Amino acid sequence: MAAEKKTILVVDDEPDVRTFLSTLFEDNGYATVMAQDGNEGLSRVKEKAPDLVTLDITMPNKSGVRFYREMKESAEWKKVPIVIVTGVSGDFRTFISTRKKVPPPEGYLSKPIDKTEILNLVKKLA
Amino acid sequence: MDLPYRRYFEEIPCYVTVQDRDFRVVDANRRFREDFGDPKGRFCYQVYKNRPERCEICPVDQTFEDGQCHRNEEQVLTLDGRQISVMVYTSPIHDETGAITSVLEISADITEVKTLQRHLKESQRRFRLLFEEVPCFISIQDPELRIVDTNRSFKENFGGFPGSKCYEIYKHRDEECVNCAVRQTFKDGKIHHSEEVVTSIQGEQLNTLVFSAPIHDANGEIQYVMEMSTNITPIRELQSQLESIGLLISSVSHNIKGLLTGLDGGMYLVNTGLQKNNQQRIGQGWEMVQRNIERIRGTVMNILYYAKKREPSWEAVAAPALVEEVCGLIEPKARENGVALVRDIDGGAGEFEADAKAMRALLINLVENSVDACRVDTKKPSHAVTVRLKGLPDQMVFEIADDGIGMDRRTREKAFTLFFSSKGSEGTGLGLFIANGIAQAHHGRIGIESELDKGTRFVVTIPRSRKVPDQGGKPEP
Repeated sequence: MAAEKKTILVVDDEPDVRTFLSTLFEDNGYATVMAQDGNEGLSRVKEKAPDLVTLDITMPNKSGVRFYREMKESAEWKKVPIVIVTGVSGDFRTFISTRKKVPPPEGYLSKPIDKTEILNLVKKLA
Repeated sequence: MDLPYRRYFEEIPCYVTVQDRDFRVVDANRRFREDFGDPKGRFCYQVYKNRPERCEICPVDQTFEDGQCHRNEEQVLTLDGRQISVMVYTSPIHDETGAITSVLEISADITEVKTLQRHLKESQRRFRLLFEEVPCFISIQDPELRIVDTNRSFKENFGGFPGSKCYEIYKHRDEECVNCAVRQTFKDGKIHHSEEVVTSIQGEQLNTLVFSAPIHDANGEIQYVMEMSTNITPIRELQSQLESIGLLISSVSHNIKGLLTGLDGGMYLVNTGLQKNNQQRIGQGWEMVQRNIERIRGTVMNILYYAKKREPSWEAVAAPALVEEVCGLIEPKARENGVALVRDIDGGAGEFEADAKAMRALLINLVENSVDACRVDTKKPSHAVTVRLKGLPDQMVFEIADDGIGMDRRTREKAFTLFFSSKGSEGTGLGLFIANGIAQAHHGRIGIESELDKGTRFVVTIPRSRKVPDQGGKPEP
């Protein structure tokens, strides 16, 4: 029997990006779960911890940032690799610099997304 | 007269005469004779002024009348035709009984003083002219910061000042500014400068660069401080425009990155759908491509409206048709997001004068905003956006109401601010700013009513006919 598929949680407020990433991952042998903001993302994680998360941090109400902090501060989930996917390059630096106690993300990609790059990163981390 | 006194009389460096009651010169000193000749019993007014009758105001006459000394300024004419200014002093001469027998008149030549005075007045006039016409706002202030003098430019922009304090006139408030440049100059006698925002009598806010310089009195004490303010509003406006352009580029490139990702996603779905011969996937991908191209179009239109503040190209626009058209354009997006688009259009609303393209952009921005507010709201099972049109006698009222996420006070207050977006990576912060700009160009306005978690209502009011700018009462050609 084949090993169980690894699950990737895609957190993005933009439906087209969710569709794009989930289709891409599923085509490459992963199972996907989707969330449209950080709060929904946390509910999905509580249901079943994923093997990796792709996270947009520029979502309404800063819920992406909150999601990241809660994940990294939790003993249970801090090992889950998180790949930040964002449209603003400057965002990432301020995001990290204002949160010294929180470890940096395992991966970082800027939009528009390079398919090969994200697949390689996911393969390495998940 | 005794000899030594006679000599003194002769040598006095003024014109000295003694006159009788008829103003006849009975005696005169050497200096007088040199410049006016021997009086030989002629009348004062003949000798001094070459006139046939006595002067109207005569200090000699006054001294005869009241026995007091008098003084007056006169212009006299010498033998060789020189006009000279003299200061005349008169004093009575009494006999043993105390009666006034004659009057002593001493006239000092003050021509040089008068010339200096004239030059001084002329240079004062020139400096005043310079002070008045300098293209800055100048005020002279006393140690209480009371304005004691101002130039023309100041008066035109800030009005009268009698005794008012600087901050009352410039800032319309009753407290001194922190770090007042004038105050600092009073303290240390040095020139200080600061940048201030002041309000003119026309209610216009002006950015000014202020310099303060001391004005000393004869003892070297600082009596007043001169405050000179230059209007730098155009420079500041340019600066803020440049900053805005920088923000626009960063905001738009952020938005475009998101849209490109959507396009990439659509292309991926179409390509892999074709490979797998999966019609459903091709259809889904193609929809993504179309949607994102539509959004890029919207962004580009907004940039164009932002980049070029243009005068509306006025035409008669049928309001019901315009609203129908906008609803038709947004309907697919609304349906896709499970939002019902409800039309409540007053079919008899008629026409209004507007720029059709601009009004369409305004309504699209608002209706899309409402659909987005519903789309991101996960708290309600279903959503609706209602687009309402009412034709009033003198204005058109467009109302766009949704039951989406709503806005808190901060978001509501900043909704029309450039680059303010509550939509994360999706918004450029241009849409509502531009919608508001278009409403203003049409002499209309947009009102917002909103409550967090309940929904938002935009009310756009546009006059039926444009206000024609005042032609200043010029007659028709």
